[in-house]
Amino acid sequence: MSVRPIDDVGLVPFGLGFERGLDTRSLCTRGVQMETLAGLGLPVAIGLTVPVPNVPGMVTVDRAAAAINLLETISGRAVGSTTPEGGIVLLRLSASAPVAAVGLPPDLVAIGVAGARIPTGLPPKMLADLSAAWWKTASFIAEYSLGVPAEDIASLGLDHDDPADRIEPLLALCEATGITPFPVDLSGQLAAGAAAMLARWNSPRAARARRTQQLPVDLPLALHIETVTVTDHHEAGHGHAVSRDLKSGLFAPNGAFRHGVRSTGERQMLGHPLSSLPGGVAMLTGVLAELEGRLGSVALVDFEFGPEGLVLVGLEEYRRTSARTATSLAVDLATRGITDERTAVRAIRPHHVLELLHPQPRLTGQEVLLVTGLAASPGAAVGRIVLTSEAAVEVAETGESVILVAAETSPGDLPGMMASAGILTVTGGSASHAAVVARGMGLPAICGASGLRIDRAAGTITCGEHVLPAGSIISIDGDTGSVYIGAVAIVRPEPSASLATVLSWGDDARRLGVRANADTGVDAALAMDNGAEGIGLCRTEHMFLGERLPLIRRVILSHNPESEEAALAALALAQREDFRELLLAVGNRPVTIRLLDAPMHEFLPATPQEAEDEDQARMVEHLHEENPMMGVRGVRLALLHEGLYPAQVEGLFNAWIDVSTQHGISPELEVMVPLVSIPEELLMMVRLMRRVNQEVASRTGIVVKFKIGTMVETPRAALMADQLAQWAEFLSFGTNDLTQLTYGFSRDDVERRMLGTYLEKGLLTVSPFSELDDPGVAALMRIAVDKARSVKPDIKLGICGEHGGDPVSIALCEDLGLDYVSCSPSRVPIARLAAAHAVLDRDPS
Amino acid sequence: MSDVVLSDAERDALISMVVRGMARGEASTEQQSLAEASLILVKGPMMMPLPAGTTLVGDILRLAPDAPERERIMSTFHRFLPINRQLRDLCTAWQCRPDGSVNDHSDIGYDAQIRDRLDDIDDSVAPLLKRFTEDLPRLAPYRERLTVALTNLDEGDNAWFASPLIDSYHTVWMHVHQELLLTIGMSRADDEALEEQLVSGSHG
Repeated sequence: MSVRPIDDVGLVPFGLGFERGLDTRSLCTRGVQMETLAGLGLPVAIGLTVPVPNVPGMVTVDRAAAAINLLETISGRAVGSTTPEGGIVLLRLSASAPVAAVGLPPDLVAIGVAGARIPTGLPPKMLADLSAAWWKTASFIAEYSLGVPAEDIASLGLDHDDPADRIEPLLALCEATGITPFPVDLSGQLAAGAAAMLARWNSPRAARARRTQQLPVDLPLALHIETVTVTDHHEAGHGHAVSRDLKSGLFAPNGAFRHGVRSTGERQMLGHPLSSLPGGVAMLTGVLAELEGRLGSVALVDFEFGPEGLVLVGLEEYRRTSARTATSLAVDLATRGITDERTAVRAIRPHHVLELLHPQPRLTGQEVLLVTGLAASPGAAVGRIVLTSEAAVEVAETGESVILVAAETSPGDLPGMMASAGILTVTGGSASHAAVVARGMGLPAICGASGLRIDRAAGTITCGEHVLPAGSIISIDGDTGSVYIGAVAIVRPEPSASLATVLSWGDDARRLGVRANADTGVDAALAMDNGAEGIGLCRTEHMFLGERLPLIRRVILSHNPESEEAALAALALAQREDFRELLLAVGNRPVTIRLLDAPMHEFLPATPQEAEDEDQARMVEHLHEENPMMGVRGVRLALLHEGLYPAQVEGLFNAWIDVSTQHGISPELEVMVPLVSIPEELLMMVRLMRRVNQEVASRTGIVVKFKIGTMVETPRAALMADQLAQWAEFLSFGTNDLTQLTYGFSRDDVERRMLGTYLEKGLLTVSPFSELDDPGVAALMRIAVDKARSVKPDIKLGICGEHGGDPVSIALCEDLGLDYVSCSPSRVPIARLAAAHAVLDRDPS
Repeated sequence: MSDVVLSDAERDALISMVVRGMARGEASTEQQSLAEASLILVKGPMMMPLPAGTTLVGDILRLAPDAPERERIMSTFHRFLPINRQLRDLCTAWQCRPDGSVNDHSDIGYDAQIRDRLDDIDDSVAPLLKRFTEDLPRLAPYRERLTVALTNLDEGDNAWFASPLIDSYHTVWMHVHQELLLTIGMSRADDEALEEQLVSGSHG
């Protein structure tokens, strides 16, 4: 950097930078951290920053001496002197850049050792600490400032176990091969330390680090110089404290500390728990609460403590945290009034919700816990116990899910691990071979389940009274470390309290309604639990799979009016039962029932040979279609079998009367006609349904209220939405079919054969079946929305394709002015949040 | 000692298989011979050593108790184990963020930090590998294989850090470790106990 020194700024003691008008460009990240901490009135280390423009000058002995003078004046102590408690005052030199950067030179923690030699007569622990720190400092200066070959320095490390024994040979090595001998005076050591840091910052290693972080190649450095007192072990130490439990996300200051000098700039994660810190954690707790509020993030502070108390020496904002922590923090900050509810909703993104709701074992309390170990690799798995790699491969080949149970794993177990659904080991921690390999393969793993005994000869595993032979089924939860006997169901968990709060705040902000696609009472109940406001799509064809298939088959294949009528009566009865269950789960909410819409072949015997009789066989042959997806589907089937839809709505109306009279609930019925492309198709169906409604009313004396609407899933329907709106009280965009028909894509074929090529060649950036196509499909929807509202301004408009659960598509639905989206029950929380973002992300206030 | 007679090429193929734990692809001539001698198992495209093969490699590689180089190798091995722990911890950090969530590699700052620490580990292990190689020349290629993994990693393919399915840095490291254990005749359990002892002994 060819920047002229700013003499009037000079050296900046911690806490005076902001008032001198300096910012991160010259003070760099660590300088700003210390300014922030000092600005809050918190106790910080005594030190100063050499701002970016003045750093090149620090390699001279004069400038180094000036910095030392200033620091001695502020601290009132001479560097190299001994404190009343017997500690030695030294200097710590560190560096930082204007932005968070990796690849910075390491801290030099013990500059100022008189004569470059460890004093004699120190207590053993202090001697060990100081020797280790001085070896690191001196060997770094030797390599990067004096040009001593790294290999020679490494040899000293191997030849002498004790760092204290390496110092004399190092000084001799510098004398023999260095550019100059090792500096023995304080200013010379500080200047050489600064030069070494700059040399390291310009090394290929640091350059590579900048490149991988996409940082400028000429990113500058500021230097920071602090006093550090090396003292006897139990009087002083250092540690870190983070504001939240990163697993639970709750505010719960935790961390670790060690005795002795902080010999590296890197945070030491291991040590004594924070709760046993001499002097207690009350001050740190207050500091972290204050910092969370100021920073709006999880806060982490580094600290040092000694006979004179505790000082803060570093600050870090945890911007990227787990979903659990992010939601907990967002809710806490809003509740404390530091932010507001809208900010909290904005802070939680769909990926957080996905993470929080990822499938986990559903525990009923009846499970038998076999053993617990360390949660080494996330996820859950159910499978048969295998005890050897060979067995894992063999059993997995039969299609069975297996869990490899081993004392520990080695490379020889790799084939078995690859064949397994999960791994369970008796020894090893979260960094064991099994854990590292399992995570590399995306397999759940539990390690260190030390209560387990494996008897390979007997082919059993034992824990307490439980003896399980190989082949028994167990379930493992890699998130908690629990192993259960037998198969545990793997399901999505309930939203946590924090997530539920954020979602409810999001509900206040959103305009779009969120409904769910559900065909059964169970699905509908799940959707309601997840906050759906109703059912946006009940696919009645799903009610006719399995045992019910013959019912619909008889309608389609009937060869005389009598048999069709009998078949329709049976169908209406069956539908009544199906709908009753669904309506009970829906309660007083809206529910959209889509009348039968499936390609006809799905209901027919696959071959004439599978038909019940010869007449059916002939019909099967007669009804064969070349392109069933575009053949006799939806309303077209109802035109051919005029009794079909009336039978369905009769079942629906009767079910409504059942739940209304027996349970006192009144679901808001919406009946939807599928695959309309000619507006008069809808008109004919409207007349049919009204007729049935009247018939039911005259028979029961109860008038069932219902709305009639149609799907918009063909381009023609979109273009004629004004005509549809004459008779429809709502329109629902079926964007799966609308996308297929707009592109002319057959989804299965194109996703399998073409999508990869489209993405690879850059013709598409995402599948239009996952994310709504704005310029094409959504353009048709825009036309439909405008035309429909021109005829009926209050017509209800929704979407029920898979796009209804996609955040990007939901934002587009907000733009289009739709009234609601409908998605699968499990996506409802994501849709609620995305609908809120669709409003909030547009509104900077 | 087993009475199986192997050619040099077969012996090397067997050692490689035991050190790597498995091999994939079409069996070479040597691997076919090893399968016929019931030293390895060929199962479709996958091959793995059988216990007899593992035992034989142990016999081949194990140093004699009174071998003059044993003491030097053990001394360097004692330096290797704490770094081995550091590497496994680093692989954990590469795969899992501090809160236990899976590292999706979207945070380039986090990944760069891990990558930078891998340089520290590589710097630390380099002089050890050099010393091992002075007594065990067959270990020489490992230095280059580690460097290849680093180069591939720096070219942007994250799998070269710790994927078990390729010769990633962790995979090659595991092979070095495995070959050292076979050479000094130490079991995995003893190795883990020694590592724990060395690591906990160095805590301040």
